[in-house]
Amino acid sequence: MIDPFFVVGVLVCAMAAVLCLGAALLRQPPNDVTILSTAAVELFLLAYAVGAVVRQVTGEPVLGEAWEFWGYLLTALLVPVAAFWWAILDKSRWSNIVLAAAGITVFVMLFRMEQIWAGEAGL
Amino acid sequence: MSGGRGGPADRAGAVPAGSDGQRSTRARGPGRLLIAVYGIFALATTARAGFQIATKFTEAPLAYLLSAVAALVYIVATISLARPGVRAYRVSFAAVTLELVGVITVGVLSIFDARAFPSETVWSAFGRGYGFVPLVLPVLGLIWLRRNRPERTVP
Repeated sequence: MIDPFFVVGVLVCAMAAVLCLGAALLRQPPNDVTILSTAAVELFLLAYAVGAVVRQVTGEPVLGEAWEFWGYLLTALLVPVAAFWWAILDKSRWSNIVLAAAGITVFVMLFRMEQIWAGEAGL
Repeated sequence: MSGGRGGPADRAGAVPAGSDGQRSTRARGPGRLLIAVYGIFALATTARAGFQIATKFTEAPLAYLLSAVAALVYIVATISLARPGVRAYRVSFAAVTLELVGVITVGVLSIFDARAFPSETVWSAFGRGYGFVPLVLPVLGLIWLRRNRPERTVP
């Protein structure tokens, strides 16, 4: 069965990436839409973290390496923040691609986290 | 040399663009994205190399040491690309060149001597596991560095 968290995460990351890339194509510097879409990715990750803690303590623990999962999650939480900080220091359309890259990176990390949670991973 | 090469939509009011004072010209426009991607690779390869060396170094010492070297190259490239100045330019040029040599060398070796290079490093099979980004990145990096050479004394 597919984890509903994963579905939501993929949708949020895809939405952020599409909006940011679209804004870049329109030659827009980072604006409310792209910054809020990046914030949505961060918000999802926070919800995912809470969900992971709940699942962990209610008897549905990580099947893979636990420290690897939490390492991924903590790093992923920093990605949108770092991208936001890096992007707003230079107001050009390229900064929107930086924000899009953050969404794509979080998607890849989410994919890996799901694999680790299901115990089918290994670096 | 200088001038509005970046995004035309830029609002020049926010940042004192144009004056090449202390701000790196390499960290503007497309360079912003380039450095961001380098940063992502620095993070990913460092974590991976650390994990490999901590848990299974003896399985393939050469490959995992190369992982660590690759991680170091990405870290140096990220920082030096983001910093202004001629010295940072030279360091980033060296790092990006080393990266290109590394990805081609390891790519070729991993295909002809698969045993010494299990496909577990960034540069194995020309970075196939990372969508060949490791192969494209140094080429874009060198183009970007060439287009943003530091000012020289006019001959």
